[in-house]
Amino acid sequence: MADLSIAVRQAGDVAVLLPAGFINAHTVREFEEALEGLVRDGRYTILLNCKNLNYISSAGLGAIMGLIETVREHQGDILLSDLQPNVFAIFDTLGFTQLYRVFGDEDQALAAVTPERKG
Amino acid sequence: MSVAVSMEPAQFRLVIPSQTRYLNLVTGLAKRASLVAGLDDATAAKVSIAVDEAVTNVILHAYHGEGEHSVELELRFTEEALEIHILHSGQGLRGDQIVLPDPKEYIKHPRKGGLGLLLMSRFMDEVRFKADEASGRNECCLIKKLD
Repeated sequence: MADLSIAVRQAGDVAVLLPAGFINAHTVREFEEALEGLVRDGRYTILLNCKNLNYISSAGLGAIMGLIETVREHQGDILLSDLQPNVFAIFDTLGFTQLYRVFGDEDQALAAVTPERKG
Repeated sequence: MSVAVSMEPAQFRLVIPSQTRYLNLVTGLAKRASLVAGLDDATAAKVSIAVDEAVTNVILHAYHGEGEHSVELELRFTEEALEIHILHSGQGLRGDQIVLPDPKEYIKHPRKGGLGLLLMSRFMDEVRFKADEASGRNECCLIKKLD
């Protein structure tokens, strides 16, 4: 099994990115390219559905940090859902849960952003 | 009849090439070692993250991404703690050279980098760096106490 695989789909105005496996210094470039590709295509509201993400190191957090200002400048955002406990612990320990909106599951995340985007 | 009981802690070593492709191997080992030491699943996951960060630092910063060097991991199981020593011959780092980012400032001014050491210090009970200029051997020691 590959260390990391990434699926992308569109849910309304939201690009849903589903990383599966491990994001570390070895795999981060693939993750970064997927995020950058979305931004290049003008898809500035991105949901990271982490249900199949086993692990993320600071390399992966850096990739997210590197794009957060860009997407917000374009009235978009990076949202997180379905975090496994150890992945949540990493975000929470560093205080990132104050910086990103974290949702229990994908439906909650999509419901939270859809009304404001319609408004 | 007497039985000689060794007071030496149980320990073993793993040597890997300085390549990120082996990160998954060492984090898996760190997690299993934590469980063997008696730590719970959540703590074992944190130890494995700390080891990932420490070994990544060695590969990318001490060895500047050069893959032909080696990184040595020594695991010591004592009655009080699990110790993971990461040894290398690359550019050393001393404890007094470490400056941890302030998470609150980091969130106000997001940027790439600087989080690995912070994760290591938050997830382990002790993080020590030793640079031996005479021998050229350097070490990062991660300690997780057993409750």
